[in-house]
Amino acid sequence: MRNLIAFLQRFRIFLVFALLQFLALYWYVTFLSFPRNQFLTTNNHIAARVLEWEHNLTKHFNLSENNTKLQWENIYWRKREPKFMYQLTRTNVKINDTIFQQQYSYIPAEIINSSVSRRNNYFTLNVGKAQGVDRGMGVFCHEGVVGVIHYSSDHYSLVKTVLTRDINIDVVIDMKKSNMQGILKWDGKNPRYGMVTGVNNDLDVKKWSLVETRGGSGIFPRGIPIGKVSSTEPVEGQALWKVEILFNVDYRRLQRVYVIKNLHLEEQTTLEARIPTDD
Amino acid sequence: MAAAYIHLFRFLIFTLLQILVFNQLDVGFGIHLMIQPLFIMILPFEMTVIPLMGVGFGMGAIIDIFSNTFGLYTSSLVLLAYLRPIIFKLYGPREGYDPLKEPTINDMGFRWFSLVYGMLLGLHTFWFFLLEMFELGRIGFILQKTILSGIFSFLLALLIQSFILKLKPRK
Repeated sequence: MRNLIAFLQRFRIFLVFALLQFLALYWYVTFLSFPRNQFLTTNNHIAARVLEWEHNLTKHFNLSENNTKLQWENIYWRKREPKFMYQLTRTNVKINDTIFQQQYSYIPAEIINSSVSRRNNYFTLNVGKAQGVDRGMGVFCHEGVVGVIHYSSDHYSLVKTVLTRDINIDVVIDMKKSNMQGILKWDGKNPRYGMVTGVNNDLDVKKWSLVETRGGSGIFPRGIPIGKVSSTEPVEGQALWKVEILFNVDYRRLQRVYVIKNLHLEEQTTLEARIPTDD
Repeated sequence: MAAAYIHLFRFLIFTLLQILVFNQLDVGFGIHLMIQPLFIMILPFEMTVIPLMGVGFGMGAIIDIFSNTFGLYTSSLVLLAYLRPIIFKLYGPREGYDPLKEPTINDMGFRWFSLVYGMLLGLHTFWFFLLEMFELGRIGFILQKTILSGIFSFLLALLIQSFILKLKPRK
């Protein structure tokens, strides 16, 4: 009898342990695939407020570097503005043309919390549904792609960055010449280096060729830079290259980003939903 | 009662330090500084395992919410709390622990503390990175992260105890 009670005592402790572990692991596994409850992330109001306060203290550390970057970005666009160009032919220049139509709109945002050393890294942005941000939109900065919105609450949103296991952005290597397609991955080691998988080894991948977005899924426009090829290795037993790339963006110092909204996304998805399935 | 307040105060300090300082630091080489195991470690000897796991669960959940890790810290802290009485029993004195003492380096000495805390921290950190990676094929990288992070977190724990933990609950 005494042994039985002692056994139950032991078992009770293990039962509580198993229950708590189950809760924690359930939380972990479900959130990696689809977030159900925003209160359990930094998207909740209290956590976001505390982190915003912390960000307000630390954001000045990289201020001059960030200002220089913004200045360079301004120069880049200023060079392309017709108003500032020297006019070669003195006839009228038509600026408002009807050939191009706006397909993407941009929402500026600031990163208030970030991590780069975990296996799956998420950033918290200070914009949310009130600014028109929603799940599945792309996030990028001038140098390159940052990630995809994973969840957004009214005033904050969570970005699944390219530094996660299954970010799977479709990319193109060397778009101008060979145009090889692949999928972006990250192995969790170094926040400066990523991987591109699915590149056939009958194609020649040159070192330092550009890696850009393909724009097939409608999240990003075609040709947003991601990085450069730094090394290639054959995959054992498969006719594929393992391509390692150097990211253009140093995610450790990133502060300001843009959320990109595809105005034609609904049109594209309704059209693609009409593809007949093989039943 | 005063002891309870001191533990509550420590809970807040350790959680805030972990969220706002150590989780924001990027040391490199896969090093992750963790001080939250130290809080569970230095809770009083007479605390039983179920309240201990409850405290671990709560603290882990708060850190998880603030750092978007979805249950990683919770799971590893609950494991740590579950293992603590087992390892304490293994290395305890024959007549049991003195309830007036605390499981810190100041009260129990360097040898005992480094043995017990080193073991607990090692298991906790290994579980943490195993879950984070979720890939048994990369056990080498997991072990590298565990060993490096474990060593630095241990040194940090020594530092915290020798400089900060002068506040002792007295009964």
